[in-house]
Amino acid sequence: MKEIAELAIDVAVSGGATYADCRVVQRGIQAMTVKDGRFAEVSSFEDEGMGIRAIVDGAWGFASVDRLDSDSLGDAARLACRIARASARLRRQPVRLAPAPVATGGYVTPMERDPFEVSLGEKMDLLIRADEAMGAVAGVTTHEASLEFVREHRLFASSEGSLVDQVIVESGGGMDATATSDDDVQTRSFPNSFGRHQLCAGYEAIAAMDLAGNASRIAAEAVALLSAPPCPSGRTTVILDGTQAALQVHESCGHPTELDRVRGDEAAYAGTSFLTPDLLGRFRYGSEQVTITADATTPGGLGTYGWDDEGVAAQRTVLVDRGVFRGYMSSRETAADYGWTSSGAMRADSWNRIPLIRMTNVNLEPGESSLEEMIAGTEHGVYLETNRSWSIDDRRLNFQFGTQNGWEIRDGKRLRLVKNALYAGRTPEFWRSCDAVAGPSEWRPWGIVNCGKGQPGQVIHVGHGAAPCRFRGVSVRASS
Amino acid sequence: MISTSSADELLALADAILERVGRDGAEVTVVEHEEALTRFARNQIHQNVAESSRRVRLRLMGDDQVGVSEIRGEVEDLQGRLIAAAEAARELAPAGDVTPLPRPDAGSDGPVAHSPATALCTPEWRAGQVGTVAAVSAVAGFEAFGALQTSLTHTAIANSQGVRRHAASTSASLICVARGENGWGYADRHHHDIGRLDAEQVAQEAVETCGRNQQATALDPGVYPVVLSPYAVADLVGHLADLGFSALAHQEHRSFMRPGERLMSQLVSIADDASHPDAMPFPFDDEGVSTRGVSCIEEGVCRSFLHDSATALREDVPSTGHALPMPNTFGPWARHLVVTAGESSLDDLIAACDHGLYVTRLWYVRDVHPLRTMITGMTRDGTFLIENGRLGRPVRDLRFTQSIVDALSDVRGTGRERSIELDESERALLVPALGLGSFTFTS
Repeated sequence: MKEIAELAIDVAVSGGATYADCRVVQRGIQAMTVKDGRFAEVSSFEDEGMGIRAIVDGAWGFASVDRLDSDSLGDAARLACRIARASARLRRQPVRLAPAPVATGGYVTPMERDPFEVSLGEKMDLLIRADEAMGAVAGVTTHEASLEFVREHRLFASSEGSLVDQVIVESGGGMDATATSDDDVQTRSFPNSFGRHQLCAGYEAIAAMDLAGNASRIAAEAVALLSAPPCPSGRTTVILDGTQAALQVHESCGHPTELDRVRGDEAAYAGTSFLTPDLLGRFRYGSEQVTITADATTPGGLGTYGWDDEGVAAQRTVLVDRGVFRGYMSSRETAADYGWTSSGAMRADSWNRIPLIRMTNVNLEPGESSLEEMIAGTEHGVYLETNRSWSIDDRRLNFQFGTQNGWEIRDGKRLRLVKNALYAGRTPEFWRSCDAVAGPSEWRPWGIVNCGKGQPGQVIHVGHGAAPCRFRGVSVRASS
Repeated sequence: MISTSSADELLALADAILERVGRDGAEVTVVEHEEALTRFARNQIHQNVAESSRRVRLRLMGDDQVGVSEIRGEVEDLQGRLIAAAEAARELAPAGDVTPLPRPDAGSDGPVAHSPATALCTPEWRAGQVGTVAAVSAVAGFEAFGALQTSLTHTAIANSQGVRRHAASTSASLICVARGENGWGYADRHHHDIGRLDAEQVAQEAVETCGRNQQATALDPGVYPVVLSPYAVADLVGHLADLGFSALAHQEHRSFMRPGERLMSQLVSIADDASHPDAMPFPFDDEGVSTRGVSCIEEGVCRSFLHDSATALREDVPSTGHALPMPNTFGPWARHLVVTAGESSLDDLIAACDHGLYVTRLWYVRDVHPLRTMITGMTRDGTFLIENGRLGRPVRDLRFTQSIVDALSDVRGTGRERSIELDESERALLVPALGLGSFTFTS
């Protein structure tokens, strides 16, 4: 792989590139699903290719190819230079990159049990047990359990002399139970919605989920939701479980602190950001309880690695410190606009895409409370579990989320299950109303596998450490 | 670019893999894809990319088991690795319902959305078109943001039952957002022929909307009549299809569709028509089954569902050719949605509205209650009050939470002009503007 990358870079530099970097990626994915005790699928996916980025005449070009012979690599490098020259026709200022140390070394995801060494039989057995347990609950209409494992070997090299070699391993799993009646459909998911929960970890992450042990419970909840009353409407106290808190962080803090959105690079598609640089250090984003970091070194986090896809070392960046907006996720190019250094958040979803500023692990740092304490301290409110619907505007201010489960709280106690809960608000007002975050014992790294951005579209896997947290005076209602 | 012999080459590769497998119950899909995209922001090109790839997929069946393997990239001993991985997966998969492979049907490998001009598009040409957009925007004192994309895809499918299909398709898209001091405006065009994208016209439209959309003021949430542009209609109809047109959704009791029952206005007819010449025609699905036209909503009445081989087998009917790569748990998918045009111009639709809103574009639309087709999302890049039948002042973006079926039950008018639009999943739809009697904005 090293020779491939160096060859491509040499061709680009010979072709006029003042900077070039190259990523060679080999990826293997193993996926399996069992549905309704009747359908089962096992699949494997292998992927291999190279992408080269070049600056020529002060502008970017990128080309990628899945053929790794010298002719194809050379053609791709020359195409990247040609594209860069075309870009330069419409470029007022040359691209500037913030300085970064030359990176060398290797990184391998720490794990206890390599998921690709675990037999397919053991994995299928787990899925069959989970699927059967869900199916045994009367009233469940469809039920499905799945696993996915990823091994990605990435080599990055640049014309500045960087050369890093990384092997990232991910393990993910999840299940859904759906119950239907003549006029309603209710689904419960575990451990998270969006198909599965995933971590940069080995098979031990799957064992820890205890899919089979939770299957009956979530199936019974799906059935119970059919006859549950709708969530009461009004302004009330909301407690979010860790999974929903993770998504709230993702949408309302993660995306608006991507510095390329601030520059307008995503304006036509993903949008911009309400968090403009003039607000740094002085804008009250949330309450004193709210500290949010972007940390690519979080153990097990789905956005954990050694170096980003520009060869910048993984690091921890404070985005919000005790409620005050403090920082961004950035790249070498966007950081240079402000005289900063990159936060090491450039990631590409494969060899055929350019790196963009993406979330790493954007974590809501743990507080000092607990779920039990938060419920006990709530006179009137709802505890909301597991995302069902999510939407936010293109500046990341006006949001509305729905959850699968709601628990009405009265006088410090969980009273009853309610359904179709929606809560809505504006980002700063919402985070300023946060008065408690659970402590380290309830804090978990959650993985989100469907974060979309960029054109052509890229879907990246990101992490969010989060714990249950409480908000006062939130607008809540049912969707029906 | 890929040579004209590619159809034979790709089918030959598929045949070679089938022969090496050497038994019934095998399907091979080969897809070669070339794509280029020039992205611009602040009247400058800031990202500019090209990719070239080939992926080969093998579905292997036997003993009521199915295994799938896929390889993207020219790896060593591709055929051997593909077969070994699929066989290993199949042998360990528990026995279950395995849908037989389809047999050849009488469909032809056409029509296909394909343009040589799109296939031959160069980075220099794309830069020139973006330069036109930037110039129009700059003259107006605005900044332009967006992307110009072209692609060429060769798809070949062969199976051990004798199916052998091939098609080469192209696509081209130009999207543009213009930004002024205090507001934005949007326009796009999509076609298989790059020559049909008029960069100056797209830029002018975005600039005009942007010029009108400065200094937007707040409007109280509530229920308003609306006129939705085709850009917005595409998102609405795409979500509606995903919430109920699939036979699997019906079989699992998740679909809003009640066949034979009128749920919407008589002005609403929606079909999936893969051969419509004004859309992006493509002749077959991911099993190589010819895609038939299906009327899903006919003058407001729920009609037929889309099938793949698995859902068709359950009901003992033929597949309509709407399969995604099989097997899957998602079910059939509408890829060629066409909404019947009406008789109104856009001005007519606006003139027919005394007090309401014109919505240019929707954003981040998500399901809230699937069975009730309840969705939420935001307006974006140009929302205007309609007063006394005329476009009035711009209003700040609003969140809507609305049942699609309810919205389409009160259609006041349908545009006579239709355009190809992409929804969030990048599916091409042929849609008109719509005038709706009520739409609920919640914040």
